[in-house]
Amino acid sequence: MSLYQIRTLAASATAIALVLSACAAPAATPIAPATTAPAEPTAAPAPAEPASGIVTREYAGSKLTLASQTDQFIEAFRALIPKFEELSGIDVTLDELGYVDLRQKATADFVGKTANYDLITVDIVWSGEYGQNKWTVDLTPLIERDKAQLALDDILPVMWTLGKWGDGQWAYPLAGYANILNYRTDLFAEAGVSVPKTLTELQEVAAKLTQPEKNVWGIGLLGAKGPAVAQDFMAYVQQYGSSLLDKDGKPAIDTEANLKALEGFKALFNAAPPDATGWWWGDRNDAFSSGKIAMMLNWSTAIKNHKNPDLNPFADKIETAFSPLGAEAGKYGFGGWGIGINADSKNKEAAWMFIKWITSPEVQKEWVDNNGSPIRRSTLTDPELVKKYPWFPILLESFEKGDGDYRPREPWYSKMEDVIGSEVNAYLVGQIDAKTALANMQKAALDIIK
Amino acid sequence: MLAPVLIFVLAIALAPLIFSFSISLTDYRLTDPTQAKPFVGLGNYIKAFQDKAVLETLWNTVVFTIGAVTSQVVLGMALALLMAGETPFMRALRSVAILPLALPPLVVGLVWKALYNPQFGPVAYYLKQIGLSVDRGLLGDFNTAMAAVLLIDLWQWTPLLMIIFLAGIKSLPGEMLEAAYVDGANRLQAFFFVMLPMLLPVLFIGVLLRTMNAFKVFDIIFATTGGGPGNATSVLNFHIYKVGLTFFDMGYAAALANILLFMIGVCSAFYILLLRRQRAAESL
Repeated sequence: MSLYQIRTLAASATAIALVLSACAAPAATPIAPATTAPAEPTAAPAPAEPASGIVTREYAGSKLTLASQTDQFIEAFRALIPKFEELSGIDVTLDELGYVDLRQKATADFVGKTANYDLITVDIVWSGEYGQNKWTVDLTPLIERDKAQLALDDILPVMWTLGKWGDGQWAYPLAGYANILNYRTDLFAEAGVSVPKTLTELQEVAAKLTQPEKNVWGIGLLGAKGPAVAQDFMAYVQQYGSSLLDKDGKPAIDTEANLKALEGFKALFNAAPPDATGWWWGDRNDAFSSGKIAMMLNWSTAIKNHKNPDLNPFADKIETAFSPLGAEAGKYGFGGWGIGINADSKNKEAAWMFIKWITSPEVQKEWVDNNGSPIRRSTLTDPELVKKYPWFPILLESFEKGDGDYRPREPWYSKMEDVIGSEVNAYLVGQIDAKTALANMQKAALDIIK
Repeated sequence: MLAPVLIFVLAIALAPLIFSFSISLTDYRLTDPTQAKPFVGLGNYIKAFQDKAVLETLWNTVVFTIGAVTSQVVLGMALALLMAGETPFMRALRSVAILPLALPPLVVGLVWKALYNPQFGPVAYYLKQIGLSVDRGLLGDFNTAMAAVLLIDLWQWTPLLMIIFLAGIKSLPGEMLEAAYVDGANRLQAFFFVMLPMLLPVLFIGVLLRTMNAFKVFDIIFATTGGGPGNATSVLNFHIYKVGLTFFDMGYAAALANILLFMIGVCSAFYILLLRRQRAAESL
């Protein structure tokens, strides 16, 4: 007997699936790339000269392996490493890794003492973990020994937070990031608003710029559960003038000031695209490039790509300003990367030579021309570079008034970030209220630190 | 002859389990400067059942598993019945229907994330057309995120059950159904009282396989929601990944993994028991 009739009955059960398949049918629907396309090097690098006698051929023939985060400065590594190899005779292998991969591979290398990597780029927030475990070399004695070669006074003071923990310098400053405001001049003019200087003004301006009917929103924010929303919220807390830790470094999250900051942070989402509660960094950059948001607070490292007409059609309408601050705040958010030497490396001196060279004043010009972020005052005030990168004076002042501690550089940072990222996201999507979120964060933070 | 098998079982199956259990009894943290691995007994297991995050993820895992297995069994059976014909068209259709199985779950997650995108995704577009608000997208809304993730899992894994059930249907003796119809059974009665009982062994195997996989769901969550929004889609396996490879708390992560293993083991034992009882009843 045929199964035809039973199949007919079963068809009703499959109807939902078929309808949904039909929904998914228009394959031609354009799907935007998840991440911003990499920038091309903006200038042909000039031939490198040995910087202040730093590079010698003493270690010619040896090999170094560098594990690097694939931030914009990776392009500078790609461009400059061949020159270092030519000058020193040292073979440098660059292992380009995403954030999670880098942390996991580097940790496995440290714990297993396999020394696969000689050099590692170190996120500012990893400093405590690396220092406490002595996974990287404390560079303090080397800095003291070679200070004549290092032009230390030229490195902006805040840059030393990139790798400092306790009394040690566990990574050397490599790429400084300032939290700045990028905005669209045409949309600001159309709305008749000026650049916000305070957080109150930021709320007002963002609201005025929001035109849902045109799918244009006042501001882009990171709301995705995890590091994205945690870092944006911590930056907002810092701009607000509050803090997640007290003067003794103990959690002080459940405070009246942080409640206001959290509520203010959520209020800002009213001027952001509704799906911003699920945004990561790439989503925000894509939204800015596609003209969907009028402004965004972001690391300074993104601005060069946004000013590139090949990557952003609104490049000539984009300007940079200082991050708006709350009444109590006097500092701007600071972050970025250091570069450390694996404590188990067999090539520590060769690795140190590389660090000295890549961060030297002479190489910094090429470093920033190839999308590296500056660490030196001389770079940020170089007339030629300032002409090329007119936002450098804003960076300089942001660095001079920068605060690298608003995200605790402590060994327990990743756990704290996870808690903040979960609770703030839960508040933003309406799962819990602000007081509960702060109470949960405070309790979890105390558990983490004890 | 026994030695190679024993070596295989010991090396491949038992050794990692023993290692996993042994480190679960310690406070082994990769980030501990002393690398002391102090013995804590069942401390990690006790901590797990007092940990709010673990209990939430455990609950979400159970919800996900029940939702995924139930919907996929029903739909898989329906599709198997629909596609049981032996025409060239049906054979071609079956080949197309199993394509989702060939895709890596991570890729499936990313594709569906784009489909669900509230700005340019076709799912959001059609939902807006029928007047449903999808401002944050189905994956971004606390109330719809789990259902949206379940739908992705349904899309990918229903074909597996369809194939398993189809194999069962093909092996059924046609005389039984014919006799039922001759005796006056209608289509529903023929399915529920004749076909389904004969398909029970196959059904149990399908349910067992999907239950084990659904308990371990990770890739789709990793690619789409990261456990959010809030804790809506935070499942145990994703939490284990976070504890082990973000916080590097290897002892605690091993304890959580063993709890997951135990849960899967209990489910498996339950299904196998049912299968044996059913076979015993058949043999009477």
